[in-house]
Amino acid sequence: MIAPGGKFPSTSSLEALIDALRCLPGVGPKSAQRMTYHLLQRDRAGAERLAQALQTALASLRHCLRCNNFTESEICQRCASSRRDQSLLCIVEMPVDAISMEETHAYQGLYYVLMGRLSPLDGIGPKELAFERLFARATDGLVNEVILATNFTNEGEATAHYLSELLRARGLKVSRIARGLPVGGELEFSDAATVAQALMERRDYG
Amino acid sequence: MAKGRIDGQKAFVLHAHPYSETSLIVDVFSREQGRLPLLARGARRPRSVLRGNLMAFAPLELGWFGTGEVKTLAKAEWLGGISLLTGRCLLLGYYLNELLVKLLPRDDAHPQLFDAYEDALRALSSGAEDAPELRRFEQTLLKELGYGLTLDVDARSGARVVDDREYVFWIERGPVERDDGDDTASVSGKTLLDMVADDYSDARTRFESKGLMRQLIAHHLSGRPLHSRRVFVELQEL
Ligand SMILES: [Zn+2]
Repeated sequence: MIAPGGKFPSTSSLEALIDALRCLPGVGPKSAQRMTYHLLQRDRAGAERLAQALQTALASLRHCLRCNNFTESEICQRCASSRRDQSLLCIVEMPVDAISMEETHAYQGLYYVLMGRLSPLDGIGPKELAFERLFARATDGLVNEVILATNFTNEGEATAHYLSELLRARGLKVSRIARGLPVGGELEFSDAATVAQALMERRDYG
Repeated sequence: MAKGRIDGQKAFVLHAHPYSETSLIVDVFSREQGRLPLLARGARRPRSVLRGNLMAFAPLELGWFGTGEVKTLAKAEWLGGISLLTGRCLLLGYYLNELLVKLLPRDDAHPQLFDAYEDALRALSSGAEDAPELRRFEQTLLKELGYGLTLDVDARSGARVVDDREYVFWIERGPVERDDGDDTASVSGKTLLDMVADDYSDARTRFESKGLMRQLIAHHLSGRPLHSRRVFVELQEL
């Protein structure tokens, strides 16, 4: 309802909550309303936990000075660990990508989390992704090789291309994770784009 | 058959953004139906068939249905034939897409522009950053939007453009021979005539035509910035 004069009347706490939930990705007005009634009517304890957890996380989490991932201390546990190979730095788009890499148990180096990817149409460029912070980390003298593990989307490729050029220019060895058919994959059941790219990126064999 | 079902449409994805938890709204440019938004249901689910296929810069065959403003994508097949863009050419691809997203109205078919776009992408996929196809695409875009370009007639005197003279481009009018002592940025008569003849073999023609098209496009964007251009420039400056 819009009051005379064109200004919104002060919203009730109910409306404020519905509105606040809409900041979540993919949550429109209807879902926000459903969530609100669920929290207030069916799960007040859950709502209390959510409010607490949000407040605590906001107050205590920050970006790790080394890897940019979320942490409660200045430097996260992984970056502080003496068991990780300090000379390898793997660049990923999001924290979940680092988790996927960890699940391989095949990587002992460290990470840098971009918290995004170049997305020119959305106006996400090197400033928004704080490339300078990454360069500072990658050239701190400990890193020898940077592994680009951004996604194989157009945005991920654009990110990898520019990071590769810019990091090479700063004297670093740069590699990119390989792509192709999945393990156990059969040509017959693979999508054309994957097969085409695997063909393009074929390598000497045997 | 579902209501308003359309099949076998050659198209490109220009841009996509998340919609609800698992879907995408895809801005597509199809040869026969023009630019339109499509809802790709479930396209963000981990094992969605659509997921890998809905990539920008790849020729696709799409099918959709529905009668509302946003139709529902039913099918997306990868046609192939243009390899994925890389490096600076990829950034130029975003530039083309942003021009279409910002300038091309929805739901009007522009088959000629579609062909010019496809040619430009094909040139970019072969690594040609400065290809004539890019200038042809820009020219076709302005023409299709109704801003016809007369490049070979002096807009003030009505005389034919002469190849060894210098011209200043008056927006919405055309080239005007530069007065003595005027130091406004100019283009040579040869560049203008080459553009009409579609001859981009001269490096100066390529350079000057790029500048001219940039100026014209900026005018038609009426002050709206091109994000892809800004990101491109910022990356060059690092
Ligand atoms: Zn860390």
